[in-house]
Amino acid sequence: MGEAKVGVGLRSVHFPRLLEGPKTKVHWFEALTENYVDSEGRPLEVLRKIREDYPVALHGVSLSIGGVEGPRPGYLERLKRLIGRVDPFLVTDHLCFTGAHATNVHDLLPLPYTEEAIATVAANVSRVQDFLGRQIALENVSSYLTYKESEMTEHEFLVAAARRAGCKILLDINNVYVSATNHGFKAENYLDAIPSDLIAQIHLGGYSDTGKFLFDTHSSAPTDPVWELYRRVSGRRTQVPVLIEWDENIPDWDGLEAQAVKAARIAEEAHALAA
Amino acid sequence: MPSPLEILQRRFTASIVGEVDEAFVSDVSGGGALSAAEAVEVYRDGYVARLSEALGETFEACWRVLGDEDFLTACRDYVRSTPSTTHNLSDYGADFHDFLLHRFKTQAPFIGDLARLEWAFKELFHAPSQVGLSPEALAAGAKSDSVLCFGSALVLFSSVHRVHALWKRDRADETPLSTADWSGEERLILYKSGGSAVFTRLLSAPEFSALSLLRDGRQLGDALAETENLDENSAHHLFAFVSEARLVMDVTHPVP
Repeated sequence: MGEAKVGVGLRSVHFPRLLEGPKTKVHWFEALTENYVDSEGRPLEVLRKIREDYPVALHGVSLSIGGVEGPRPGYLERLKRLIGRVDPFLVTDHLCFTGAHATNVHDLLPLPYTEEAIATVAANVSRVQDFLGRQIALENVSSYLTYKESEMTEHEFLVAAARRAGCKILLDINNVYVSATNHGFKAENYLDAIPSDLIAQIHLGGYSDTGKFLFDTHSSAPTDPVWELYRRVSGRRTQVPVLIEWDENIPDWDGLEAQAVKAARIAEEAHALAA
Repeated sequence: MPSPLEILQRRFTASIVGEVDEAFVSDVSGGGALSAAEAVEVYRDGYVARLSEALGETFEACWRVLGDEDFLTACRDYVRSTPSTTHNLSDYGADFHDFLLHRFKTQAPFIGDLARLEWAFKELFHAPSQVGLSPEALAAGAKSDSVLCFGSALVLFSSVHRVHALWKRDRADETPLSTADWSGEERLILYKSGGSAVFTRLLSAPEFSALSLLRDGRQLGDALAETENLDENSAHHLFAFVSEARLVMDVTHPVP
């Protein structure tokens, strides 16, 4: 599959097929941390089985790395235990917060692009990385509102937070496109401003167009504009792993694998063009 | 004195979980063609949808018997009255059985018991697998004064309505339920036996009592003697089940 190592999200609908040990062009799997962090049952059993044959990345939604209260008590201990069991090649979460005052809204709430938010993220990342004993990567989130108090652009905030925190970036190109469309900035400028050395992984997914705004639903294949943005980033000849993310209306295994093959082909073409 | 970031995060969270904070709305701009208020509503709707989806996954049988409209309305009202405090969505809804029973007491008096059974199953589904003593080892070690140490992947469940069959009911079965489908008490055991699969077995009242006493640490002979209406044949069958399912992790004896 060329130079791009393409993975897909590990979803329970594909467990039966994957446990048959199919020949596949998928190089790795991404497991949603929260599906395994508190479970000792079948999901963990399957994940461990998959891990015998494939590299696995852990992708969380509950770290609340931008929350002023930081990660919830007990979460880091559970995450560290899961890391010990799965030995992931990458541990990621989102550049956001997920609630306040012990309330978890189970959503990826955008941060204001301010110095205070950067300092909060940096302090939390430092604590997390020290505890886990490894570097993490943070994903840019889709958003449907912006804060009037923001002091910089989203991409300036993302790069500054990653640099200050000493972590990597999980660059979700679909999220960039969604937010660019919703908030009226150029996705190309955003992507060009992200230094290659900070990118640890790329996500590709699909959104829904509600007619009033783009909604990050991961309910379809990446759209043409997202593929074109991916082609643009691939032209840098980055060697980072790429993931097809699909959470709703999930296709059968062959349908999902076809998207992974497409991502590999586009990367290969972009690399050849850039060479 | 809370910082600007702390104030923003409290207001955003409160606007999603409870009433919309107008001060927060005035501090944001909506994306796309959304007004600020509409953008906040996107997050409010998403919160209810996500937690309702989590309830639907855990309480699938309750959803099936209540139907979409009643179940999803109940979910929405429960979510609006019960904020989530856990990072794990599958831990949400620990007291949903009370909420459902209160709301549907007349039309579905069994619903609280069915929800409790689904919660017990969910808890056991995520519990570690266990492999207890082999039938041979248990037979060799178990005496009248033995205390049987059970593993944690085991739930003894009792209810005032019969809900096991409702829980197992085929999704495609649209036959209307009648009182006869749920009337009467029921007892069962949910357990794991060497793998990740969760098994269930209906228990008679004496079997349930005997297993409860044994699980509480009563000596084997005492537990069987104290259980009313457990004849020798039933006791033999119960012990054979416990043995074959490998539910006992260890056997201890009083120090002489």
